[in-house]
Amino acid sequence: MADDKDFFICRCEEVTLREIEEVIDEGYHTIDDVKRITRAGMGLCQGRSCGKVIARIISQKTGKPLEEVLQTSYRFPVRTEKLKALEEEGPSDAENN
Amino acid sequence: MQRIIEHPVLGPLPDVPMVKIIVDGEPMEAREGEMIAAALIATGKKYFRKTIKTHEPRGIYCGIGRCTDCVMTVNGIPNVRTCITPVEDGMVIETQMGYGVWKQEQ
Repeated sequence: MADDKDFFICRCEEVTLREIEEVIDEGYHTIDDVKRITRAGMGLCQGRSCGKVIARIISQKTGKPLEEVLQTSYRFPVRTEKLKALEEEGPSDAENN
Repeated sequence: MQRIIEHPVLGPLPDVPMVKIIVDGEPMEAREGEMIAAALIATGKKYFRKTIKTHEPRGIYCGIGRCTDCVMTVNGIPNVRTCITPVEDGMVIETQMGYGVWKQEQ
């Protein structure tokens, strides 16, 4: 890798620190904005790995307190679950998460 | 690679029956009840999938079913999180390229 900014923050969508810092420099200062432009947090894990990291990067670059940047709500489903579980009663994947 | 036979806290590895799994067409043995990822690491498998954009190899990362880095195609179903899915006898496990392909109706 070229230098220390070319590593993945969002592992699912393969978005690097450099790309995230670029969009923050363009003025996008929320997790949602960064997500909509770079796709960071839209992959398989739905931001479970990178969401908090991106919040911290935004907080460090903009000087906003972390609590202000962090998402205040999470959408359903909070845990990974097969759609099948919504229509059927029975064993759930949730206990494995 | 090998398993931890004598763990400082958990003690010696208990005896459990072995099951047969098929990894990329090759038959292998796994300990009954262990997770697919654990079985694969014990057999020395270096990567579980390749990413869709940069085609980089990925393996186990969080190990608790959150990061989805260890997903593979299991019994024809892509994107199965191998770190929280126990092995079953006769399971067919394949290295996944990108988002994978559905090979089975579920």
